[in-house]
Amino acid sequence: MSLTRSATPGPGLTAEARPTAPVRRRGRRFDPLPYLLVAPVAIFIVGLALIPAVFTVVQSFFKVNPLDPPTRFTGLGNFRALLADDAVIGSLGNTAFYVVVGVTLSTVLGIAMAVLLQRPFRGRSLVIAVLILPWALPGVVEGILWTGIFDPNAGLINSIVTQVGQIFGTGAGGTTLLLGQNRLLTISLIELVQVWQITPLSVLLILAALQLIPGELYEAAEIDGCTRWGAFRRITLPLARPGIAVCMVQAVIATLNVFDQPYVLNGAAATGSSITMQTYFISFQDLDFGQGYALSLMITVVTLIISLVVVRTIYRRVEL
Amino acid sequence: MITRTSRRALLAGAAGAAAFALTLSACGGSSSGGSASGGSSQTSGVTITVALASDPPPKAALDEFTKETGIKVNWVNIDWDSLQTKISAAATAKTYFADATDVDWSRVGQLGKLGWFYPMETMVDTKTMASDMPQLTSFTKDGHVVGIPYDASFMVTTVNEKMFQKAGVTEMPKTIDDYTAALNKVKSAGVVKYPLNIPFAAAEGLSTYWYETTGAFGGTVLDGAGKPQFTTPDSAGYKAATWMVDAIKNGLVPPGNINVTDSQGSQTLMAKGQVASIFSDYSGGIGTLYNIKSASSVVDQVKYIPTPGVTGTAANLGNPDGIGIPKQAKYPQAAAKFIEWFTSAKKQEDFAGLNGQDKIFQGYALPSHLSVLQKMSESGTLPEGKSLVPMLQGSKPVFPEGAPAWYPQFSNAVYTNLHAAATGSMTVDAAIKTIADTANRLASGS
Repeated sequence: MSLTRSATPGPGLTAEARPTAPVRRRGRRFDPLPYLLVAPVAIFIVGLALIPAVFTVVQSFFKVNPLDPPTRFTGLGNFRALLADDAVIGSLGNTAFYVVVGVTLSTVLGIAMAVLLQRPFRGRSLVIAVLILPWALPGVVEGILWTGIFDPNAGLINSIVTQVGQIFGTGAGGTTLLLGQNRLLTISLIELVQVWQITPLSVLLILAALQLIPGELYEAAEIDGCTRWGAFRRITLPLARPGIAVCMVQAVIATLNVFDQPYVLNGAAATGSSITMQTYFISFQDLDFGQGYALSLMITVVTLIISLVVVRTIYRRVEL
Repeated sequence: MITRTSRRALLAGAAGAAAFALTLSACGGSSSGGSASGGSSQTSGVTITVALASDPPPKAALDEFTKETGIKVNWVNIDWDSLQTKISAAATAKTYFADATDVDWSRVGQLGKLGWFYPMETMVDTKTMASDMPQLTSFTKDGHVVGIPYDASFMVTTVNEKMFQKAGVTEMPKTIDDYTAALNKVKSAGVVKYPLNIPFAAAEGLSTYWYETTGAFGGTVLDGAGKPQFTTPDSAGYKAATWMVDAIKNGLVPPGNINVTDSQGSQTLMAKGQVASIFSDYSGGIGTLYNIKSASSVVDQVKYIPTPGVTGTAANLGNPDGIGIPKQAKYPQAAAKFIEWFTSAKKQEDFAGLNGQDKIFQGYALPSHLSVLQKMSESGTLPEGKSLVPMLQGSKPVFPEGAPAWYPQFSNAVYTNLHAAATGSMTVDAAIKTIADTANRLASGS
């Protein structure tokens, strides 16, 4: 049984009978329709993503600051300045935490929730619809929503955190632990909000992968005496790896580019600022576009490297 | 399921998303963008776009303007932060985004140096305006007027008189020492657990609070050359920072205020009776918030008091909003006509409700014309007007020589470090030193 579309001919098919023959004939005569259909999207992507991206790469090696004209070549000057900037280094640390915790939690929770939703039950569609709500909400709206929950003077979670702080006697300056005071707690709470947002998409991606696993495999495993845990480890997880890889890549992109949640929940404070917040401050507050380009380039390279590692490590080709 | 081709597609997707990250700041161009685009001088039969962080004025008012001038107005309400980003992005890329837009007092130095806006003295009669608009000086840089103030925002001290009286404070404090003593009395009397609101969130509101407090301690933050004036322990800025941080450490300010912004503090603390005073509050807050029954539980309890200073009343510092014309405007002359109309004394009377309820501009703070403020005070339509008028008359700009071009970076250093000092992660001394180092570095141009 194969759920993939194979390009190789099936057994018994001769080379003459290959279904690719008609395609070759069509290839001789130019058909503009596919190109016309793709053209609007291609123009959109080239114009709004690729050209600015190339422009950014080039400009990251220039001093581009309208307050300090003219634009001039600086080589690696922008990168050196960024790596010597305490605010950038601090936000890199925060962002690393967001990525590690966010990707891990959203993947683990995504797998757990997808497995729970794998089998049909009454109200399953409703549960999935409700589940997707946090993902559908804009980040700023979520930030405002959680600001109320974390409200330092009246928020529910903050009250609990405050009580914990009082019990353990922690907190700087004799006050209790609060969002914005203790760095680890602050970035943990900010990431909790982001995990709440990105996990639904992880659930859906993994659930889609799980739906493709034939039920016969589980039946056969049961007949062979395999436990549920064994079936999960030997059937579910291996066959869901492509879906898990996709979910992890989207989580890497989301967490590396987190902006709304730390900005709305914790302002510009160093205790929670992310690397994309620094890009914003450097570009649009300081108007140092050269450094902004350089930082954007660094984020892009890191995103690609981590995504590559995730795909190489997690992804496995699956044919059923 | 997913084939090898799909793996490539997955990586391509990641690359695509990364490419979008690259475009984050790619909208910037490479030159200062100080030249005009040569917009049309047409002033009739055109539609101009006005982008401000505000709801539009009443439709009838805009229709009236169209009838008078033949200029249609497309009003775009964009939040303040996004608006600043759009102004920078559009000006740097030399692209049009609005014919008239926000000029915040804090960006006057930057915008003046960059030449992104038309000098307003060439577009409207600013000399005549100046006599009735005390805050026009806040919008002047190197002899050029970057924008025209359309409201008269300035920082004031508000107290909940009922709470103060309940604690036995019958005479309003006139000096900063009296004020501190009064707050301690309110706390010790148990009237309210935390009597003072200071918005310690790392945001602009914390910076302006410090400027106002520095003024009360008898000094300024920067001199005309942009050099810091707050480095020694006996300087006003140093004392102000110490006073603010001590206030949270000593329990005058709610501990949770390390994450409270200025507007949150007014809306959820002062308006709800959770605190008894804000040293640096919004002017006009009594009429637009504290006396509004649906939003406040302290109606008729809050008063403005003359800002307590070292030996007596200190000046109020202004932080008004202005409106100007970007160099890439399509119809700069039409935009100038709109600004002239929008900031005129007659129209501000309408917006403030002096000529009937139907003409009120909802959310409009205080008129920038002193004469309109006086009329409001005399007619009784401005709560606490008798206190506000002399405050506006005596108000001063935060930076007498104009905000420096690098103000946004300086302010970022102020609010992030004062926030850190309030959380206890650094000392006031270290915070002040870091802020001063930032100011010195920026002023030297390095």
